[in-house]
Amino acid sequence: MFLKASGLCQSHGNRMTLRDIDLEVKQREVFVIIGPTGSGKTTLLRLLGLLDRPTAGQIVVGGQEVTDSERSRLGTRRRMATVLQKPVVFNASVYANVAYGLKIRGEKRDVRHRKVATALEAVGLSGSAERNARTLSGGEIQRVALARAMVIEPELLLLDEPTANLDPVSTSTVEKLISHIIQRLDTTVIMTTHDMLQGQRLADRMGVLMAGEMLQTGDPRDVFNLPRGREIAEFVGMENMLHGVIASNDEGIAIVDIAGKVIQAVTNFGPGEQVYVCIRPEEITLTGTKDSTSARNVFPGEVARVVSFGPLARVEIDCGFPLVALITKRSADEMDMHTGSHINASFKATGVHVITR
Amino acid sequence: MSELANAFVTALKLIFTGDPEVLAIAGRTLAISLTSTLLAALMCVPLGCFIYFHSFRGKGLLISVIQTFYSLPTVFVGLIVFITLSRAGPLGGLGILFTPQAIVVGHVVLIAPLVTGLTISALGGVSPEIKDTAISLGATRFQTVRTILVEARYATLTALMVGFGRAISEVGIAIMVGGNIRGFTRTLTTAMSLETSMGNIELSMALGIILITLALVASILVNRLQRR
Amino acid sequence: MSRPPAFLSVAILLLALASLLPACRGSAGQLRLATTTSLYDTGLWEYLEPLFEDEYGIELHVLSAGTGKALELGKRGDVDAVVVHSRAREEQFVTKGYGVERVPFAYNHFLIIGPESDPANISGAGPEAAFAALMAKGETDEDIRFVSRGDDSGTHGKEKAIWASAGYDYEVVRASRSWYVESGSGMGTTLMMADEKQAYTLTDIGTYTTFESDLGLVPIVDEGDALLNVYSILVSTRATNPAAASSMVEFLTSEQTQALIGTYGVEEHGRQLFTPYAREDM
Repeated sequence: MFLKASGLCQSHGNRMTLRDIDLEVKQREVFVIIGPTGSGKTTLLRLLGLLDRPTAGQIVVGGQEVTDSERSRLGTRRRMATVLQKPVVFNASVYANVAYGLKIRGEKRDVRHRKVATALEAVGLSGSAERNARTLSGGEIQRVALARAMVIEPELLLLDEPTANLDPVSTSTVEKLISHIIQRLDTTVIMTTHDMLQGQRLADRMGVLMAGEMLQTGDPRDVFNLPRGREIAEFVGMENMLHGVIASNDEGIAIVDIAGKVIQAVTNFGPGEQVYVCIRPEEITLTGTKDSTSARNVFPGEVARVVSFGPLARVEIDCGFPLVALITKRSADEMDMHTGSHINASFKATGVHVITR
Repeated sequence: MSELANAFVTALKLIFTGDPEVLAIAGRTLAISLTSTLLAALMCVPLGCFIYFHSFRGKGLLISVIQTFYSLPTVFVGLIVFITLSRAGPLGGLGILFTPQAIVVGHVVLIAPLVTGLTISALGGVSPEIKDTAISLGATRFQTVRTILVEARYATLTALMVGFGRAISEVGIAIMVGGNIRGFTRTLTTAMSLETSMGNIELSMALGIILITLALVASILVNRLQRR
Repeated sequence: MSRPPAFLSVAILLLALASLLPACRGSAGQLRLATTTSLYDTGLWEYLEPLFEDEYGIELHVLSAGTGKALELGKRGDVDAVVVHSRAREEQFVTKGYGVERVPFAYNHFLIIGPESDPANISGAGPEAAFAALMAKGETDEDIRFVSRGDDSGTHGKEKAIWASAGYDYEVVRASRSWYVESGSGMGTTLMMADEKQAYTLTDIGTYTTFESDLGLVPIVDEGDALLNVYSILVSTRATNPAAASSMVEFLTSEQTQALIGTYGVEEHGRQLFTPYAREDM
């Protein structure tokens, strides 16, 4: 265990922005906190980075409890580095910016020189060492911020929405850089983002923060496919959520009654349980009315709308209950999908995720 | 207009022929103003930092008062310093009334609010994220303050420049606590005042031109420093 | 921004500055003297200063201020001696214990000067009569103007004494309409103002002589007991360096200096600015 937080609470004025957060991050793990804007991610990250003090709760870093004493906090803080959302650079050269952390730690000049050169090379800014950092573009500033953090070789690296303000190309560059840094430095990383796909890409473990509460932590796949609550499900993109009641359950295979229609799902909830049936749009297969399928759940329906979604097509279907499916544009074209088309929507029982209501 | 032109010519003549009295006066003026500015900087920049970085009750009021004192009338300051340094006054024992040191004291009192207040403004002009950045990279409190001060260096230097300008161009304090003693406490401004009252308009203007030239040179030097 | 060179240059600068400013100690060989502006502006002190310093080896610092201020400085002990020209106030100064004694050493006369056209027609009159005429005609005649020092100086005191002699309450005079103006400034500035306004004014002969060539005003009234102007030196009872002050008294009253005072300005201006050998009863 590298970092353990228990019962963290934070309030701003009269509002409680963080409620009873418990968190454990293993050494060398990449832990990503996802959540919508305003959920308290930055607040939490600032607490973990020891930039702010919590109103309640405890943090233990590397076996040492973080106390109130400014001196001990400083000591622990020096083992970490935090890269803030929309980082700022000092009005000085890129070199001076990156060397900052080393300079304040009293490192000798030639050591600083060597480490800064390495860090600049890693982020691809070797040629800009003498430029005034204020003249850099947004993406370059992000890279300087990363180099600044890297250069002190922190045991814990905290990143607050590192690509939130960047265009897709820069985002990709920075993500690659982060992965590279993670590999190279072997640090523990805590990162926040509102982009759940980014979380998927980078995380070893993920935590979902919503309205100041940590609702679910675990393997990214679990969070993605087995969200534990409605808000989480919505957030991770489970667009299809249907009200229903468990009619029966035979060794894990349940029959769920959705206003007359029947869906088969894999779950442990017992009969009578009020549930949400969640299906990811990608799990739904669309076939012609005459085709056969091995899926247990097949529903004929009429296409209400087809919307292009990049290389994909988002299809809204009325099967007696609304469904949203995500298929490739190609498939949509091949089936001549349009409003009014009659098709069959099918999905496996294992593709259905049931959560309590 | 010809008076102005003649004044320029006189000014040049005084400088290039190295008129000893004028050179002495100019040198003295510069020495006094630079000393005042430096002393004010040493005292007021840290003070400004202290006020800026701490929260306390009445902070807003204090800053308002400081800003009000930007417009202290020089005669008023001169009067206060005079009665303080006078032999009849509390610090009379120091015996520094009617010496250049007294003028330095008066100038420091005059520009202290200016340098303090403008330092506070300068620090306020640094984005708050800089503080976070410094802390997040492991800076101690002192290092953080120093970093922010360095970020605010241009504006702080400007604050000193303003203080210097106010000191070198004032006459009320120099006359009241300096006494305009020939060869001892006569400065460019007090000399101008005297020459004017004696009707030597051109000489007075020439001295004024020399003063402005000194201020200009100082300003150019500061600008070069800022550009580095 | 590299830090070491910045600190170094600041340190060097401070050291240089410290050396430039002469020490304020060493009052043993220093004499501080306050004198009235009208006397200072004649340049007499500049003339006498090197002579005194050479003879006695004492550094002389002369401050120029209005009579009121000069006496105040003497009272406070901020100067060792004062040289002014206001008998009544000087005697009071001694009576009150601020000064050791009053030693007159030179005199001259005040003048009422004015425009050559003399609109009030007071040429040749006595000072009191002249002032009475100004008071009577000033209200109605636009061309008649008077500029007063208005600053409680020796000259101003003399002016007020003449008004009193002529039977006028000074406050009434002050409340007169725009023909009576108070400059609140030194003699030189007052002269220039009077020149601009082509007005009458009361001036000492020393300052007038210095400014004569720049002025379009001429002496109108130059005789009368009321115009007597006596300069005296008083040593402050709170002097830091009473010995030096005594030396100055000795210097001013010595035969040699008295003679020099008498001839001061004659060559340059063609007229005597000061008459030495002032009597004690003056």
